[in-house]
Amino acid sequence: MELKEKLLSSFWGLDSSVEVAEHINDLRGDAIKVFEQYGFPSKKQEAWKYTSLNKIVNRDYVLEPKGDIAVDFNQVKKYFLHDLDSYAIVFIDGVYSAHLSQTTHDGMDICLLSAALTKPRFRAIIENYFNKAANSESMVSLNTAFASEGAFVYIPKHKSVEKPIQIIHFSTGNDSALLLQPRNLIIADENAHVQIIERYQSLSSHPVFTNVVTEIFGEKRSQIDYYKVQNDFEDASLIDHTFINQETESNCSVHTFSFGGKLIRNNLNFSQNGEHVESTLKGITIIGEKQHVDHSTLVNHNSPNCESHQDYKGIFGDQSTGVFNGRIIVDKLAQKTNAFQANNNILISDKATINTKPQLEIFADDVKCSHGCTVGQLDEDALFYMRTRGIPKKEAQALLTYAFANNVLETVKIPELKQRINKLIANKLGVNIGFNL
Amino acid sequence: MLKIKDLHASIDEKDILRGINLEIKAGEVHAIMGPNGSGKSTLASVIAGREDYEVTKGAIELSGQPLEELSAEERAHLGIFLSFQYPVEIPGVSVTNFIKTAINESRKGKGLEDMPANEMLKKIKEKSELLEIDRKFLSRSLNDGFSGGEKKRNEIFQMAMLEPKLAILDETDSGLDIDAMRIVADGVNTLKNADNAIVVITHYQRLLDYIVPDFVHVLYNGRIVKSGGKELALELEAKGYDWIKSDVTV
Amino acid sequence: MSKYTEDDLREELKTKEYEYGFYTDIASDTIPVGLNEEVVRTISKKKGEPDWMTDWRLEAFKMWQGMTEPDWANVNYTKPDFQAISYYSAPNNKPKYNSLDEVDPELLATFEKLGISLDEQKKLSGVAMDVVVDSVSVATTFKKTLSEKGIIFCSISEAIQEHPELVKKYIGSVVPRTDNFYAALNSAVFSDGSFCYIPKGVRCPMELSTYFRINQAGTGQFERTLVIADQESYVSYLEGCTAPSRDENQLHAAVVELIALDDAEIKYSTVQNWFPGNAAGQGGVFNFVTKRGLCEKRAKISWTQVETGSAVTWKYPSCILKGDYSVGEFYSIAVTNNFQQADTGTKMIHLGKHTKSTIISKGISAGKSQNSYRGLVQISSRADHTRNFSQCDSLLMGNECGAHTFPYIEAKNNSAKIEHEATTSKIGEDQIFYCNQRGIATEKAIALIVNGFSKEVLNKLPMEFAVEAQKLLEISLEGSVG
Repeated sequence: MELKEKLLSSFWGLDSSVEVAEHINDLRGDAIKVFEQYGFPSKKQEAWKYTSLNKIVNRDYVLEPKGDIAVDFNQVKKYFLHDLDSYAIVFIDGVYSAHLSQTTHDGMDICLLSAALTKPRFRAIIENYFNKAANSESMVSLNTAFASEGAFVYIPKHKSVEKPIQIIHFSTGNDSALLLQPRNLIIADENAHVQIIERYQSLSSHPVFTNVVTEIFGEKRSQIDYYKVQNDFEDASLIDHTFINQETESNCSVHTFSFGGKLIRNNLNFSQNGEHVESTLKGITIIGEKQHVDHSTLVNHNSPNCESHQDYKGIFGDQSTGVFNGRIIVDKLAQKTNAFQANNNILISDKATINTKPQLEIFADDVKCSHGCTVGQLDEDALFYMRTRGIPKKEAQALLTYAFANNVLETVKIPELKQRINKLIANKLGVNIGFNL
Repeated sequence: MLKIKDLHASIDEKDILRGINLEIKAGEVHAIMGPNGSGKSTLASVIAGREDYEVTKGAIELSGQPLEELSAEERAHLGIFLSFQYPVEIPGVSVTNFIKTAINESRKGKGLEDMPANEMLKKIKEKSELLEIDRKFLSRSLNDGFSGGEKKRNEIFQMAMLEPKLAILDETDSGLDIDAMRIVADGVNTLKNADNAIVVITHYQRLLDYIVPDFVHVLYNGRIVKSGGKELALELEAKGYDWIKSDVTV
Repeated sequence: MSKYTEDDLREELKTKEYEYGFYTDIASDTIPVGLNEEVVRTISKKKGEPDWMTDWRLEAFKMWQGMTEPDWANVNYTKPDFQAISYYSAPNNKPKYNSLDEVDPELLATFEKLGISLDEQKKLSGVAMDVVVDSVSVATTFKKTLSEKGIIFCSISEAIQEHPELVKKYIGSVVPRTDNFYAALNSAVFSDGSFCYIPKGVRCPMELSTYFRINQAGTGQFERTLVIADQESYVSYLEGCTAPSRDENQLHAAVVELIALDDAEIKYSTVQNWFPGNAAGQGGVFNFVTKRGLCEKRAKISWTQVETGSAVTWKYPSCILKGDYSVGEFYSIAVTNNFQQADTGTKMIHLGKHTKSTIISKGISAGKSQNSYRGLVQISSRADHTRNFSQCDSLLMGNECGAHTFPYIEAKNNSAKIEHEATTSKIGEDQIFYCNQRGIATEKAIALIVNGFSKEVLNKLPMEFAVEAQKLLEISLEGSVG
């Protein structure tokens, strides 16, 4: 049976043991109709021109994982930022793992979406926020139709979360091929501050297809820093949809580090709905083999006096493919917008491909918008210079690569994370360098 | 030549000028000094006709003609020239092209034909030599990538080309090194004659060593609080503006 | 004003060393509206074309029938009804107006600003069509000078008769009939167009020029241009377009193919001023054009365009850089005002090694118009050491228009160096005040600033064209800033 058919029939037979509000059920019903109509996207669609899902969707997936699987902390320790005191919301094959998690309801809510969807005291929040930022594209609708579990974070007014939150979804490989559709909902109320690190990780090389939707709401003067670490096994594919709605004077940054996986598609949508909003979108992609990473960003400047900064660096080896599809839309109301977008790429193999398409769509006249994009190589002169000073070629290349990616890393506010990313980059480049940026 | 009577002006409903009275006759050089935020640049902009400012009271006349109803370009056609504190960059438009347009538009405003090309060329040559401007400079985009000194020299070059009746030099000395200042001042002094007048707006006394004023006015809080001869500038230099401030506590 | 005669023109040309090759349909009859195989046959027959050409057209027609009109470009319009167009309705001798007094005074004012003679004004307004006949004879006058050098410059209909071997070899070789909907349509029904061949080693001594216009209401114009520059030759080609104002939309779907053989260079400049529609957004030309050039080894093709006209423009003059060390250039100014929509840009297809391309695009949007740059830079895996530089700048005037940039970059070679930059800006109030203060009125100041903004592209135009283009920019933007 085709995956689409399987999903549709699974939806109608969905176990409704989790009691949710009527309107959530309505949302799901509408969402599945959208997916039924449009199905999986194809390369014929402009937004998917450079990314084909054929190889991923033509496979039989287990849709409902077996349930509680015990995983020992030592087995997964390395995927945590373990040297960091943090909250943690951990899932194994889509199921919440209480013993790996550290949640709280003390003055804020760092817990499960299933809890938020069912408990009466969250009712108002769910009605206000759930599915309010997400759009109704086919893959998003697919997630909405099945959305039942994921991370839920609610930070009330004037609250600064004292330590970062780690959201980790593990897949074990106990099912031959697994389709996961987590749904995360993050709300930072007025003047709240929160830092989140998110990861989707398989524990062994097995086919897993994650189609995740994360909705993030930054109310007035809130500050949200969101980090995505993507370094999965070669059989894991991820389609990530992250929607961020920002209100007046809020500040939100999303950093995406894509180092592994088979196919990754990051849809990152910002919507600026108040004045003096600042949005930061940054990413480093370093891939090889036949890996494919696609960043599709969209910043909707809907209000005046806002800023957005985008900076994506990509290094592509072997037969890997990189895609950058960045859109900036400046509404006619959004005067005095400052929007910048940069996408710089280095191809280090003659079989690698980069397709980049930075787009500006501007309807207001008093704005400063620019984008720049380059495809090139590491500076040969600099390489030679370093080698004459005794630095071996590989290390010199790594050093230059660091330099190339540096301005993306410098805005990472969690030192432990920065260090971890440094290590991952060094690993990825196959060098061991005794320095940090 | 220029008569300002009880001039009040505001921007965004904030009063900046609160009753300026000033009379400037042909052949005179006036210096307007004052601390930051006293309204010096506003006065220059209001005379030149910048629309951001609203004249709420009072009058300005040039040679008996009221200026209120005139647009900035019409005032320019009458012979008002403002050397900008921050000259504006216009990419792709060469210095020559710009000044040609400015001259011919002013001539058109007076009902004259375009200046013949050879006359224009001669004039450009003559004035650029006066200000020690390189020919290459003339084909560069207007103020685009110019150093501070180049921008100011370019302003005085335009002044030389347009031969205004009333030239207002707004902080022309800022961003100039000593050599550039001498060149600019020499240029201004050469252009000075019995039929025109010059207003030098400056924060420091420095430039007045080179362009010697007949009158010095101190602007504070939107009013001229003190007027005198060139020695007033020296006094200000020695005592600082606090002296004036304490003097006029109202 | 006395009649501008051929003698006057010749005199003018002597001093200017400038070649005008007017092109126009001068058919005396019309076929009914609608499109079917019979219509295609009729067109071919009326032109007395050989069988191979008729067949070629019929094949194109079949291809076209199997295609659907594209709608991906960032433009909105009511799609033309292809059965409501006459495909061979060339201007007849009946004047549309009896005298100039009946012509829209606004249009006449525009012509005057452009420095177009009264006689020319009459022609453009559709008053006295006989003058067109004169224009055609002008082309023949210069044919002799050109033929001494072996240069062929004639209408494509003539070329089909006189030089079938060249036409057969190259037509459709760069823009295949299946390329796109409008290219297929054009291939089936093209009425006429220009043909140019520069022999090996010849440097064409003068600018060659084609002047297109749409004269008749309810017609589509489908011209076909084929320029072949043989090895080591050089030609600079100019194309001007105007159309009288009418309140219904007219369709223009041209195909231009350039072939630059080894070491040849073609410079192709266009000033497009089709009627853009009136200030209320009625009428205007739909300009759906396919322009593409093929570069062999070390060849160079340079497209320069100033696009001020048309209600809707959909046009991507492109270069296929097939030969090693070949060079492609695209310099564009696109101005949109009122309700105009332009979706224009280029495709640089790098196939050969050490190929180089430069893209400079300047978009100016005013009124309620939408102006998009859409470009593709494609580096094939074999194309080592290629280089591309693109710069797309947009200038917005007013808050009801839009400026959009859609650059596609597809690189499959790790020795490629590609740089793309885009900026958006507006005319600053401080810039206007600065100009005002120097005695320059606001409208003139805007023209000055816009010219400055467009300078890099204007500089690429041949002198004569640059002056006209500057005036056009000024006229197009008139009244756009209150």
